[in-house]
Amino acid sequence: MNILKKLTANKLLFFGVVLLGIFVLSAVFAPLISPHDPWTYGQAFLHPSAQHLLGTNDVGQDIFSELVYSARVSLWVGFVSASLATLLGVAVGIWAGFRRGWLDNVLMGMADIFLVIPALPLVILLSVYLGPSIWNIILVIALTLWPGTARVIRSQVITIRQSGYVESARIMGASEFRLMWRHVLPNVLPLVAAKFILAVAVALLLEASMSFLGLGDPSQKSWGMMLHYAFSRGGFVQNLYWWYLPPGLCITLCILGLTFINMSFEDRTDPRLQRILDR
Amino acid sequence: MQRHYHPAASFLGKALRYSIVLIVIIALNFLIPRVMPGDPVKNILGEQAYYTAEDVAALSAELGLDKPVYQQFGDYLGGLFSGDWGYSYLYMQPVLEAVGGHLLWTLVLILPAIILGALLAGLAGLVAGYFRKTPLDIGLTSGFMLVYAMPHYWIAMLMLMFFSFNLGWFPMGKVTTGGLSGFAYFADLLWHMALPLLVITLFKAAYDFLIMRNTVISICGEDYILMARAKGLGRGWILFKHILRNSLAPLVTVTAIQFGMLFSGVLLVETVFSWPGMGTLIYEAIGARDYPLIQGAFLIIAVCVLLANMTADLLYRRLDPRTA
Repeated sequence: MNILKKLTANKLLFFGVVLLGIFVLSAVFAPLISPHDPWTYGQAFLHPSAQHLLGTNDVGQDIFSELVYSARVSLWVGFVSASLATLLGVAVGIWAGFRRGWLDNVLMGMADIFLVIPALPLVILLSVYLGPSIWNIILVIALTLWPGTARVIRSQVITIRQSGYVESARIMGASEFRLMWRHVLPNVLPLVAAKFILAVAVALLLEASMSFLGLGDPSQKSWGMMLHYAFSRGGFVQNLYWWYLPPGLCITLCILGLTFINMSFEDRTDPRLQRILDR
Repeated sequence: MQRHYHPAASFLGKALRYSIVLIVIIALNFLIPRVMPGDPVKNILGEQAYYTAEDVAALSAELGLDKPVYQQFGDYLGGLFSGDWGYSYLYMQPVLEAVGGHLLWTLVLILPAIILGALLAGLAGLVAGYFRKTPLDIGLTSGFMLVYAMPHYWIAMLMLMFFSFNLGWFPMGKVTTGGLSGFAYFADLLWHMALPLLVITLFKAAYDFLIMRNTVISICGEDYILMARAKGLGRGWILFKHILRNSLAPLVTVTAIQFGMLFSGVLLVETVFSWPGMGTLIYEAIGARDYPLIQGAFLIIAVCVLLANMTADLLYRRLDPRTA
């Protein structure tokens, strides 16, 4: 029975990796996969054909090629801003949880403030002034995502720092940095991985939402941007479903893949959940 | 060792925390247009405001930009509390009026969605968690997972396309047909809000469902459930009296934490349905680069989210006396 459950957990991971893998491959090999250059103008509003698998958009760009290239920006924004947020969140979380005291209060107070401020409106406010550049989008998303990670890591660190092996290392004279780096960090890594994957999903959705609102980087192509144009340039009103369906589907499948991976991590990192699942 | 505080002290601590958040939000709103790249006059008035190069000095004096920063902040606070939130050149009216009118329509959508979504998720999560690993659970979980993964404005587009455009059951957007009053107006309003409400309810339910299901699964393993079973209590009694009662507190917390996210989701869904709420306001303000409007919208949304968090804090104690 136990083996069967482990297999389903792995199956989840397997499906997740396959789903995400398709998009990563499409991002990496975009020039090889896409039949056309997605920036070349041509005849507008063509219906799907052998020449243009998903037709063309309002300025005659090949929609299928756009879709393939969009994986680059969508995944890049997702992964880079999630990495930044995770790095910051883990550093703050470990520091606050390990030191406790006033430092903990100050850092977690800051995290709480950021947690209450709604992410999308803040992102909109900042990016309206900063202008549509992909790095601005990445920075702004990272800024809104770190507190969630910091909070979770901190509470885990608080239990770890009281454990026997940290105590004995401390008695043997290990420096504070060594304690955090060698003894605390490796123990929170599975949790970090789970939070990271979740952050990628949230960042990807945030980027898509911003782009859909017209705050994306116009020199880049992303799925949110494609939806923005499909919605604002007549693709939706004219019901050109080959234009507005595929980008949303790609986002959905990506998020689904990330969620599956995250769930398979969570099963392992939460021993309480594991016990429940084994029952 | 957990220290025990007097309830009043913990309430004061909470109040202090929320006031700090409010101050930070206001300060952010004050600072962002002033420190961001670009012309501060333009940043404060918006791209729609038309003025010539000679006007700039006079305008920045009028806006107080030549005064020291602390004095500017003082003036800003004074303006905020006396209702002077700036002027929207896009809507040709004061920001507070424009924002207030739109907020009402967003609340009309968001408040029923919270209640309906929590009810739907609560019931579905209860059933799925209790009958874990049955086809019913697997069906419900995969369904909600799918909704969870879809961008909500995309679901909105699909629904609008299918139910309004293809089937013609619902209108293509907006709030009312116009020219109606009394009961007819109300029925017409309901007809118009059905689809956006459905999308937001589903979106809210998808988040809640996964949490509710996990809570129920862990409660099913508690000793008092075993005890209830051993006593020979009926399934319905256990489900509603023991499990539901104990899983309500997490549901309320989740609602509070996700209120900000829900608000963000509503903003996007509104633009698809041309619903005249905050989302459409922000969408149009972005297009016109009407900065005062975007700032006002941010401020009011942040305050709403803050209020929701406070409400949930208070409700939580009522629902789970163990934490008080």
